[in-house]
Amino acid sequence: MSHSAHRFVQLHLLTHYPPSNLNRDDTGRPKTALVGDATRLRVSSQSQKRAWRTSETFAVDLAGCLGRRTRQLGKEVFKTLCAGGVSDKLAREWAKDIAKQFGKLKSDKKPVNDSDLEIEQLAHLSPEEWEATFALAQALIARKEGPTEAELRLLTQPRRAVDIAMFGRMLADSPEFNMEAAVQVAHAITVHRAAVEDDFFSAVDDLNRNDTTGAGHIGERGYGAGLFYLYIAINRELLRHNLGGDEALAERALAALVQAVTRVSPTGMQNSFASRAYAGYVLAEKGDQQPRSLSQAFLKPVHDQGEGMFTQAVTALETRCANFDAVYGACAQARYTLNVETPTGTLAELIRFVAE
Amino acid sequence: MDFLVFQLQAPMASWGEAAVGEYRGSAPHPGQSALVGLLGAALGLDRADEAAHAALRDGYGFAVGVLGAQGDGRLLRDYHTAQVPPRSALKGRPHATRRDELAMPKRELGTILSTRDYRQNVHYLIAVALREGATAPHTLAALAQALRTPRFHLYLGRKTCAPAAPLWPQVVEAASAHAAMQVFGERFEAQRQQAQAATQAARPQRWVPEVLEPLPSLTRLHFDAHIPAGVPAWLNVPRKDRLMSRRGWQFGDRTEFTAWLAEEEPPCS
Repeated sequence: MSHSAHRFVQLHLLTHYPPSNLNRDDTGRPKTALVGDATRLRVSSQSQKRAWRTSETFAVDLAGCLGRRTRQLGKEVFKTLCAGGVSDKLAREWAKDIAKQFGKLKSDKKPVNDSDLEIEQLAHLSPEEWEATFALAQALIARKEGPTEAELRLLTQPRRAVDIAMFGRMLADSPEFNMEAAVQVAHAITVHRAAVEDDFFSAVDDLNRNDTTGAGHIGERGYGAGLFYLYIAINRELLRHNLGGDEALAERALAALVQAVTRVSPTGMQNSFASRAYAGYVLAEKGDQQPRSLSQAFLKPVHDQGEGMFTQAVTALETRCANFDAVYGACAQARYTLNVETPTGTLAELIRFVAE
Repeated sequence: MDFLVFQLQAPMASWGEAAVGEYRGSAPHPGQSALVGLLGAALGLDRADEAAHAALRDGYGFAVGVLGAQGDGRLLRDYHTAQVPPRSALKGRPHATRRDELAMPKRELGTILSTRDYRQNVHYLIAVALREGATAPHTLAALAQALRTPRFHLYLGRKTCAPAAPLWPQVVEAASAHAAMQVFGERFEAQRQQAQAATQAARPQRWVPEVLEPLPSLTRLHFDAHIPAGVPAWLNVPRKDRLMSRRGWQFGDRTEFTAWLAEEEPPCS
């Protein structure tokens, strides 16, 4: 890894969610935390990351860099080999050898439509694994000899799998495929005191004409509403490293991440609450300095004193940011602000600021 | 002698101890392995670099000061679920992304439950000293610089627990870790008042709120045998937090001493 200016990018977001139940505890109620002696609603980092990494935004913006998923790998290799003039028998044998590196093959007694070449489960290949596989097929065609054991070691550490490069993975069984997360995500908390409320609801029996007998079903559901502070710290140097030094891909990854964190909500109980929300405020910071969150701004819960909760939260956050600089020295080298209320800044400019 | 003193403050922290299975507890304050890991992250050490971690472990003594009556935080028990494909479905199948790992009929996916403990609203001071008779791999000034501009993320035990203030590492000459922490507190207060005065001067007509909260006083000090604490120990307990193998997640025993600094009685005397 080379030294670069602005190793870290920090994102501070304020997002208001109307009544919602995005992230639940074991009793089905929204999660909470005690911050500065006041109860807050909380959305865990795990819940948010899952929403982002399984989002359409990621799937579309990072298409081709989230790997390829198929059961048909053996068939494709078989076709390639046959087209290169390898005999049907040998091609089938070699294609099986290659395909089974990625998963168990189907053991059909009477294979139909080359189903003996299919992998039982969907195999997931990183783009580089895909390329290596077909490079090997071409090599076999050229020399008309089967693959060696060394050549069959086609599994590699993912290099173009962006979501793993961002959020990491830990495999206790095969630590050689572990990856250190380049994006740190804190649990989101409301900037104000917030209680979990109970929604008592009843459902009416449509065929019951006697309206004095009450509901067909009654129930209760916890929910809460609030303005959430979310903090994210990105190690751009590590992200580039995790992506094999691919600058352009790292930029695409950062753009997709900003798109997701500002616009994608956790999916929990969206059908009941439709609580999808976009961030109303984002402060982005760049620098080599030690990243720190600005959650201290909300140690004292924000109260609406006429200006509105949102404006007061923005003031508290920006004041804490300036005060940190005043006491400890500059905590960042460059900053960019997006505020929907005033309005200041655009998402496109924010993405440019973060990615470049 | 010289001490490196810095603060750790955050709304959430988690200091994992020996844990197998679905319950992941948290100690009230960071152990040796957590501090070695923090310094390692600042320096940009690879997790697998056993020798470099061992050198950090053996080169320094550590003390942890708890600030304020509740500086070691209140317990938060987090209920956590994760969706997982059955192990058989993953066998021999590379699954480079989460989206693809879960790309199978929903009914085939399972759920694992785990309970994870956090400490809420923590605030500590950490003191680091060169261990007598040992070779320290980095000077205290170099460690301070690494904490100011770290190579990797710094976090309080779990990656989601980001520091909520600059660590503000200071190299302090003092007789003990306790004295060094007090010097840190004085420097912070001077810095804070200076910033307060500057803010006030800039806006003389208006009432100006405190730029930052004052540092709470030290209520407890935890330290190992390799740092002069400057206060007598009331208690010593073995902790399994002596880093042995970062790779294999192996930890050995270490004796930790505790001194109560506030007027109050220790919880169980």
